[in-house]
Amino acid sequence: MVAPGGAVALAAAGRVTLHAFDVAEHRTVDRLARELAGEPIDILLNAAGLAGHEPQAFGLVDYSDWLAVLQVNVMGPLKMAESFVDHVEASERRTIAILSSRMGSIHETPGGYYPYSSSKAAVNMVGRSLAADLDARDITVVMLNPGPVAAATDRGGLSATASVAQLRAVIERLTPADSGSFLNYDGSACPW
Amino acid sequence: METVLITGANRGLGLEFVRQYNAAGWRVFACCREPTGAAARDLNMLAGTSGRRVTVHRLDVANHAQVDQLALSLKREAIDVLINNAGVQGPNEDFGKTDYKRFAQTLAINVLAPMKVAEAFAGHLAASRRKVLATISSRMGSIGLTTGDTAIAYRTSKAAANMVAKNLAGLLGPLGITVLALSPGWVKTDMGGANAPLDVPTSVAAVRAIVARATAAESGKFFHYDGTDLPW
Repeated sequence: MVAPGGAVALAAAGRVTLHAFDVAEHRTVDRLARELAGEPIDILLNAAGLAGHEPQAFGLVDYSDWLAVLQVNVMGPLKMAESFVDHVEASERRTIAILSSRMGSIHETPGGYYPYSSSKAAVNMVGRSLAADLDARDITVVMLNPGPVAAATDRGGLSATASVAQLRAVIERLTPADSGSFLNYDGSACPW
Repeated sequence: METVLITGANRGLGLEFVRQYNAAGWRVFACCREPTGAAARDLNMLAGTSGRRVTVHRLDVANHAQVDQLALSLKREAIDVLINNAGVQGPNEDFGKTDYKRFAQTLAINVLAPMKVAEAFAGHLAASRRKVLATISSRMGSIGLTTGDTAIAYRTSKAAANMVAKNLAGLLGPLGITVLALSPGWVKTDMGGANAPLDVPTSVAAVRAIVARATAAESGKFFHYDGTDLPW
């Protein structure tokens, strides 16, 4: 469990509340869902993810780390959907968004990074399955590629601020017809 | 003599791969979890009448030390075709009741194990003439075609296995190794059930034909048993 202390400043405005939990510890997911029982959640945004340890190259793969990556990146969003589906269904927007990655596009994969890339391909399947399974409850599920977000010191990448602004715009524009799709931060479709 | 290594070789598609490659005169390394148990009786009978072309090897693909040990004991052997066939169906609960422990086991066997086997046996493949690494995937692993509803762990594991195969194709291409993700169709096995439209010999013959004609140009692709391309 990670203490949410780093985000304390954000909470100062009052509308942001901090909740400690770990998507890989399903008891804590259920506990949080119970704590928030009765609260409609318009957008459930699954941003928690692991990149996995380096190296991830052929012959050097750390399989226990790979399983940990899958636990968070693949099973995490499924567990979140299972635990929070009632909250989302009770809201107006009824949207579940999962941060995936272009590295999860099997069509476009640059190679290597077996744990991370397989986890993102896998969560695309989870999201697309959820879209089908939750269609009857009018819940829209999308997978989003945030783009090549760079650390502040890198050149040429997308800043986190710009990526998030664009992702939010994509989420704002979603309609039920978009459910089950994999969208880039600019709103274009990303191939499976 | 051409050589094939098959995982999960004691029943279903795996056992039929052993039968057909044996009948075609290949040398077969048939691998299964419990080679001495009742579940391997048919395989052992086949091996016993094969004139030593079929040998049975203990291999639990989730046991990576055992994978390494087998690769070491076969280190002088060139392997023309390796079929990552061992797999599990996984849990199949309704939404809201997912068994995550079994979900994780499904990923370990259907996704991580084919990678581990590839890591351990790439050298054996590179030393052979045909150099084909085939992972038995499933049409159910097509993200584009999925309609949800059932077997989310299985479908998810096969989508992830497809990513692994695609990445392996890029990496192993320079060694001349062709990597394929193959859907055997819906087959009458323990996994597929009695309602499946395809019988086991038909599916395996079709998959073998794809493997036999595969060239570097097909590496990194996902084929249905009938030879058509499947979308990711």
